[in-house]
Amino acid sequence: MTQTTRREVMALISGALAGATLGGPAFAQGTPKRGGILRISAPANPSSLDPATGGAGSDHAFLFTMYDTLTEWDFETLKPKPGLAESWSFSDPTTLVLNIRSGVTFHDGTPLDAEAVKFNLERNKSDPKSNIKADLAAMESAAVTGPLQVTLKLSTPDAALPGILSDRAGMMVSPAAVKASAAGNVARTPVGAGAYTFVSWADGEKIVIKRNEKYWKPNRPYPDGIEFSIIPELTTGSRSVTAGQNDLMYQLPPRQKAIVERASNIKIFNGPTLYVFQIFLNWAKPPFDNIKVRQAFNFAIDRETFVKAALAGLAEPAYMNLPKAHWAYDKSVAGLYPHDPDKAKKLLTEAGFKDGLPIELVGYPDQDSVQRQEILIEQFRKAGMNVRFLNAPIAEASAAFFGAEKRGSGILAAWTGRPDPSLTYSLMFTKDAYYNGGRGAVPPELEAAIKESRASEDIELRRKAFATVQRLVMENAFVAPLAFQFELVAMNKKVQGYRPNLLGKPKYDDVWLES
Amino acid sequence: MARRSPTRVIGGRLLQALPVILLATFMVFALLKLVPGDIAVTLAGDNATDARITEIRKIYGLDRPFLVQYGAWLANVVQGDLSQSLLTGEKVATSISRAFPNTLLIVAIALVLALVTGIPMGVIAAIKPDGWVDKTVSMIASLGVAIPGFWLAMILVAEISLKLNWLPATGAKSFSVSPIEAIRHALLPGIAIAAYGMAEVARQLRGSLLEVLSSQYVRTLHAKGLSMTRILWQHGLKNVSVNLFTIISILVNRMLAATVVIEAVFAIPGLGSLIVRGAIQRDFPIVQGVVFTMVIVVILVNLIADLLCAAVDPRIEQ
Repeated sequence: MTQTTRREVMALISGALAGATLGGPAFAQGTPKRGGILRISAPANPSSLDPATGGAGSDHAFLFTMYDTLTEWDFETLKPKPGLAESWSFSDPTTLVLNIRSGVTFHDGTPLDAEAVKFNLERNKSDPKSNIKADLAAMESAAVTGPLQVTLKLSTPDAALPGILSDRAGMMVSPAAVKASAAGNVARTPVGAGAYTFVSWADGEKIVIKRNEKYWKPNRPYPDGIEFSIIPELTTGSRSVTAGQNDLMYQLPPRQKAIVERASNIKIFNGPTLYVFQIFLNWAKPPFDNIKVRQAFNFAIDRETFVKAALAGLAEPAYMNLPKAHWAYDKSVAGLYPHDPDKAKKLLTEAGFKDGLPIELVGYPDQDSVQRQEILIEQFRKAGMNVRFLNAPIAEASAAFFGAEKRGSGILAAWTGRPDPSLTYSLMFTKDAYYNGGRGAVPPELEAAIKESRASEDIELRRKAFATVQRLVMENAFVAPLAFQFELVAMNKKVQGYRPNLLGKPKYDDVWLES
Repeated sequence: MARRSPTRVIGGRLLQALPVILLATFMVFALLKLVPGDIAVTLAGDNATDARITEIRKIYGLDRPFLVQYGAWLANVVQGDLSQSLLTGEKVATSISRAFPNTLLIVAIALVLALVTGIPMGVIAAIKPDGWVDKTVSMIASLGVAIPGFWLAMILVAEISLKLNWLPATGAKSFSVSPIEAIRHALLPGIAIAAYGMAEVARQLRGSLLEVLSSQYVRTLHAKGLSMTRILWQHGLKNVSVNLFTIISILVNRMLAATVVIEAVFAIPGLGSLIVRGAIQRDFPIVQGVVFTMVIVVILVNLIADLLCAAVDPRIEQ
C-alpha cells in the first residue's frame, strides 16, 4: 500500500490506542470473577429454542448458551475439538465411535449418557419437524455400545460429521423434557446441558437465562445470568450500548463502528468470519450459462475497493468460500481472479457480447445493500457489463431467486458459513441443492471432489480434497465471492474475556464482568 | 324524533364494526398471501431443499387453498383464540397483551402532551389573530407537521439520552411493575409523536375558535359587556369542543399508526414492532392478530368520540 488515506491513518491510530489502553483480546486483564448479569442487545428473535426445529443462523447466539455440543471448535480455525464427547474415532470409514464425558447432567437433573445422545441423534435424523435431517444424512443408525459410548453406522464415509456435531446436530436436548412435552415440542421450553439454564422468553422482547450451577466446565460460566434484549434496529441496538442500557452488542454494522467508538466507555472487537457477501449465479440460463461470462463477471470485481468502500475496510476480500484463517483455505485458488476489467471485456467479446452485456440481478432494498450494489454496478460498468438490480425484501428476493420463479441471473446476498466446509460446498454446488438457484448441472469431477472431501478424517487429505473443490468451483466461476465480513462486537469496559470466533456466531465461554 | 337509548346506539355501532373487522382482516390476509415470499422458507431453515420446503408447507397447512386458511383462522377467532405464531409458537394473544400496554402508554403520553401544549397555543393564537403570537404559533405548528417523527426521535435520543443522560434511549418497562420507570421510558417516544399532534390541535383549534369568535352571538355577548375571558371559556371553548373530540379521535388513530416507526427507533416491544416483525417474516397469525386489535381500538375510539360529541351537543343525532 503506497497511499494511505486519512481514514486509514485514523483507523490505525485508534486501533493502536485501543490496543494500548484496553489490552486487546490477547491480553486479558485481571482475574476472572463470578457474578453480575450480562446484558446483551441481540438483533433477531430466535426462530425456535429447539436446535432441531429452528432454522435461522441467528439462533445460535442463544442456543450455544443453553446447549452444549458433542464437539466444539477452535475459535481461530474452526478445527473440531472435544466437547460433550471427550473423544471420537473412526474405527473404519463408515463407523464413528463417540465417547461421552462422564458425570454431565441436563438442566432437569437427568444424566447425559449414551442413551441420551442416541435419542438426540435419532430425533435430529428422523423427527418430521427436524430441520437438520440433511446434516445427518450419512448416519444410518446410532447404537449404545457402552454406558458412555455411542457408535454411529454411516451409509457412506463422512469425515464432516465431527464438525457437524459442533452445530445444531450436536446440541443435546434432555430426552426427558422432549418426552414430557406435548408433541415433543420444546421450542419454548429448552432444556439442555449448557452453561446457562432457561428462565423466560418473551417474543421479540427479551430472553433471560441464568447460570447452570452444575455445569461440567470448572468455574464456568462467570456471570450469574444473561439478559438478551431483542432489538432488530441495529442503530438502536448500538445506542442501547453507548447509553449503558446493555453491556454488549454483536453484529454491529461496519458503518456504525466510527460512531460507537466516539463513546469513550466502549471497546470494539473484530475478527474475520465465514460470513461471506457473494453473488450467487444462475448458471442454468443465459447469460451465465456461458462460462466465459461468469469468468468475466469475476474479473470485473475489484474486491479490495469493495471492502474499503462498502464495508469500511472491516472485511477480508473473498476469492473463494473460505477465509485465510480457515484450516482448509487454499492459497493458490485465491489468485484466480485478480481485478482485471480488460480481461473481463476480452472474455465478453469472445462470448459474443462485444457491445456490452445487460445483466439483471436480484438484491435487497435496505440502505447497506443498496450501497453495496451501487459500488458493484460501477465496477461492472467499467468492464462492459450493464448491471441492474431488482430489489425486494429478503424473504421475497431469496424465494424468487432460489425457488421456482428463477427471477434474475444472480442475487447479491450472503452465505453464513458452516462448521464443516463440505456442507458449504454441497449446499451450493451440487445439482439439486437449493442454493444452486438454477439447479444447473455441475461437472462430475466437482461432485466427486465434494464426496472425496468427506471420505477421510485425515485433515491433510481433507485439505487437499477441499483445494480441488475450491479450484473447480472458482475455475467454473459458479459464484462471485466478494468479502468475508468481520464480526464486530461492541461492549462496555465492564465486559472482560470476550473472544471473537471464525464462525461469527458469538460464544460467551470465558466472559466475565468487572464490577 | 325520539332519542334512542345509549345502549342501543352502542350496540348498533358494535354490530356495524363486524363487517369492518372481517373486511380489514381479509384484506390484510390477502395482501400477505399476494406478496411473494413465504414463511415456509424461513421455517425450513438454512439448509433447506425444495422437498423440505414443500414438506414444511404441508406440516403447517400452508399448502391449503387461500380461503380455507383464512377460514381456519377466522374459526379460531370466533372461539376466542387468535392462534399462535407459526415461527415461534407463542400465542398471539400473549404477544399482543404484552405489547399493547407499551403502545398504549406512548399514545397516551403523546396525546396528553399534544393537548396540553396544543390547546393553549390554539387559544392564544385565536384571541389575537395575525399578531406576532399567532404568527409564531403558526410557524411552530407548520414545523410540527413538517418534521418527520423518526427524525425528531433520533435527535431527542442523541441530545437528551446520550448527551445529557436524562432519559433512557431504548426499551420499555411495565407500567404495573414500576409506573415511574415506565413513563420515563415512554416519554421520548411520546414527545416524538406528540409534535405532530400538538401542531394539529393548535391549528384546528385556532381555526374553529376564530369562526366562533367572529359569529354574531359572540358580538352580542361583547355588547352585553362580558369580559373576553368569560366569552372564551363559557361560550367559545364549549362550542369548539365538538371539533376537539373529533380531532382527538383522528389523532389517536394517527398516533397508533406512527408507533410502527417510533417503536423501531426506540426498540419498544409494542404493537408496531410486533406487526413489523410479523409482516417481514410472513408470520400471518401475528399480523392478523395485531390488525384485529387495531381495528377494534380504532372503532372504540371513534365510538367514544361520537358519544362525547353527542353529550356536549344535543343537536348531533346519534
